[in-house]
Order: sequence, then structure tokens, then C-alpha cells
Amino acid sequence: MNDNFEGKVAVVTGAARGIGLAIATALDQRGATVIASDIDGAAAARAAATLSRGESAPCDVRDEAQVTGLLRGAADRHGHLDVVVANAGIGHVKPLLEMSFVEWRETLSVNLDGVFLTTRTAAQIMVGQGSGSIVTIASITAFAGSPGIGNYSAAKAGVVNLTRTLNSECRGFGVRVNAVCPGFIKTTLVDEAQAGFDALLPGELTLEQVITAKQSRWGEPQDVAAAVCFLAGDRAPWISGTAYTLDGGFRASLL
Amino acid sequence: MSDLEGKRAWVTGAAQGIGRAIATRLHAGGAQVVLTDVNGPGVSATAAQLGDGAFGEQVDVTSPSAVEASLAAAAERFGGLDLVVNNAGIEIGKPLVEHETDELRLLLDVNVVGVFHGIKYATAHLARTQGVIINMSSVAGLGGAPLLGAYCGSKAAVLRLTEVAAIELRAVGIRVVAVCPAFVDTPMVDRLIPGFEAVAGAPFGDLAAMKQTRLGTVEDVAEAVAFLAADESSWSTGGALVIDGGLTGSLL
Repeated sequence: MNDNFEGKVAVVTGAARGIGLAIATALDQRGATVIASDIDGAAAARAAATLSRGESAPCDVRDEAQVTGLLRGAADRHGHLDVVVANAGIGHVKPLLEMSFVEWRETLSVNLDGVFLTTRTAAQIMVGQGSGSIVTIASITAFAGSPGIGNYSAAKAGVVNLTRTLNSECRGFGVRVNAVCPGFIKTTLVDEAQAGFDALLPGELTLEQVITAKQSRWGEPQDVAAAVCFLAGDRAPWISGTAYTLDGGFRASLL
Repeated sequence: MSDLEGKRAWVTGAAQGIGRAIATRLHAGGAQVVLTDVNGPGVSATAAQLGDGAFGEQVDVTSPSAVEASLAAAAERFGGLDLVVNNAGIEIGKPLVEHETDELRLLLDVNVVGVFHGIKYATAHLARTQGVIINMSSVAGLGGAPLLGAYCGSKAAVLRLTEVAAIELRAVGIRVVAVCPAFVDTPMVDRLIPGFEAVAGAPFGDLAAMKQTRLGTVEDVAEAVAFLAADESSWSTGGALVIDGGLTGSLL
């Protein structure tokens, strides 16, 4: 564990639980001052209380004023903003053929609009200060179709290209932007979706069987957190515009 | 920097450039390292500079028996092997239709067959330690580049070999990953620069600044290899980490 974030200020969205909490914890352990943000402000405060230098802030990433307040507030209070992790996301299983426009837009509004607002605002601040690193949490579902999560995977594909585009606009200003694309991680989001996937998979096949065959094991939030720290920190000064797949080998196989 | 304490590593193409930097970083992280290269005196000198826990050995990766013997000797010396870095590679810098068949075959022999040897003969050793194989691909494995026809083909092949090895060796607990650097400040790239400048009609430094912000350093690549080799990347297999200053993420 060589990443050193001492003296750095980091904001993580969706930090109350799951992957976001693991990222906030890993950044804190590596020395960063972490602002743990979540739409559930009380849960964000509980998460921040577990950190050694944690602050918390409620933020609905769909709301431009709240996102601006979160990021400008952090930068103003601390004088700089070094790392922003756009992690907040939602998901549920529903075939596209049965999906209402409301359900489509609900997921897109958090998983894509929210990432746009978070990363754009972060990039504005960071380009202004001439330094900073942004990491988005996309997904391997960005790269292929998966039954039941058409809104989620479309948003994640959007996040990958949003990340690349921000890189192409921010390069030359000392700001790096990367995506991590995890496979299936053991989180409550996936737990809640598991029965839905099982119902949509052919025959008696279960998500658990697919995971065992294709990923070796369930990913853990800590796996993603380590990758985020590497990409966000000083060990990766020449890595930008990348979508780093971290999936236990899921995507490597066609079968 | 002790993220690789206790690891036992074997690296090809380690006399110079990226391979030397990888061996240096692994060693600094606490690993014992066998550095191999077709250039025996060069790799011995590099190993000697690193000091205790670094050993140089002449190995031609195109020779199956040489790779097999060197890996067996490294495992014997260290009492096991945790990490194999298949880095050795050569380039041809000329238009595709001007490649000679023999030189193209030699390139594929080093860049593809050599990686195959490193996978094949490392497997028995790494299965005992749940070890890691890291293969040197390139952004040239992700897209075409003028004057690098055979090289691009070879690096794309490395990516496919990496994926298949990752899938097949999962059962014995071995991770297999690739790294894809863009243009890095190495003797290889130095040799390619005049050709690129002639094709592009612009200074290479300007092209690098535009496409990848700057020329990469060998340390940029070595640090990524260290990250993938470490236990913190225990769920990373079958993929490729792109280290390119934004080159492949941007069309323009």
C-alpha cells in the first residue's frame, strides 16, 4: 500500500455504504481528508464517523446546486480539492420491454446525470487550480448487453465516454480522469438484484453460478477501492482517459 | 515501499528500458528478482546495480528450453516463484509492405512466442503460490500505428493470450494481466522517432505532447506493474491496464 494521500482532500459520492464506503475508508487510511457524501445524510455522517479525518455532507447528485455546494464547499473550506470519486449509483432489475420511462429516467438521472454534474464541477475546480484527479465508477456492463439492466448499463456506457471526453478536455491542465469498471461486487445493490437476474437467466442458471464460473469469486468493495486509490494517486501520473476493467476475468472470456 | 516484500519474481527483457525499471521497482518493493535478457552482460550489469536479491541471467525467450530452465532455476533458487513479467520485445519500424518475412517472423517469435513460453513454463511454479503473470502489451495492441505493423499485430496477440491464459489458469489460482503503455522514453522509441517524424512531418515531441501529454517514463509503467503484482490487485485478471497519458481515450 504505497499510495499516499496525506494533505489531500477527497470527495466521494455515495459513500454511506458498499463500494463508496470502501473507497472513503481506503482514502482515509492512506492519509486523505475525506468528505463522505450521500443522499442519505445521516448514513453519510455515520460513515464519516468511522474515518479518522472524515467529514460528511448530504448530497443528491441529481441536484446541480447540491453538487456545486458539495464540491465548491470542500474546495473553499480546505483551499484545494485533489480527488473526486463519482461513485453514487442505483440499480434494479427490469427488462427494457417492461421498463417505464420514469424508471429509465430515474436510473439515468443518478447514474449518468449525477456523474456529469459531479465530474464537470470537479473538473472546473481542478482545472482552475491546475491539479487533481477524478475517478468514476462505471461497470463492465458498459461494454456488453445484460438482461434486465438496460438503463443501468446504458448509463455506465455513458459514464465511460464521459470520462474519456473529460480527459480529452482536461489533459494539459494537470487533471487526470479515469474510470474503474468493476464486475459483480458483493454489495446490497447486487444482493437486491440477484433474484431478478436469476429469473432472467436461461434455464436453471443462477447469477451465483455465473459469478463462480466467470469471476472466480464475488468482487469485494475493497478490490475496487484499491484500484481507485491507485488511479487517483501519485503512482499513476501518466494514466488518464482509461477505463480499467476489474472483474476477476469476467470479460476476458466470450463463454 | 514494501508492497512486494517476500515476492519472488522473474522478468524478461530486463537489461534496459521498461524491463529494467520493472525489475528495479519490484526489487525496491522488497521482491527478490531474476532479471533475464538476451543481452547477458547487460542484464548482469543491471542486476549487479540492484545488489542483494537481484540476479542476472542470459535468456533468449524464443527458446523454450532456455525459458523452462531459467524459470525452474529461479523457483529453485528462491524456493518458489510468485511473479513472472513477460516484458521482452523487439520492434520493426517501417511500412508494413516493406517488412521482410524473416524479420517479421523473428518479431513474432520474440513478442508472441516468447510470452507464450513465459506463460507455459511458469504455470507449474505459479500454481503452487497462486502467482501472477504480467504480460507487456502496448497501445499498439489496441489500435494501429504507422510503421508498426508487425509490432501492433504482436501486441494484439499478447492481449488475446493474456485473456485465454487468465481464463484457463483461473482454476489453479494464477492471475494473468497485461499492461498497455503508449510511447515511453526508451531506446526502442528513440530508434522509432526519425521514422515517425518523417511520416508525420512534425517533431515527435509535439506529437507526444498532443496525443499523450508527454513521453511516458519507464517508472510510470513499472509502478503500474507493481500495482498489478501486489495483493491489493488480487481480483484483477484477464484485463489490460492502459498507461498512455490519454492517447487511446481520445479521438482527437
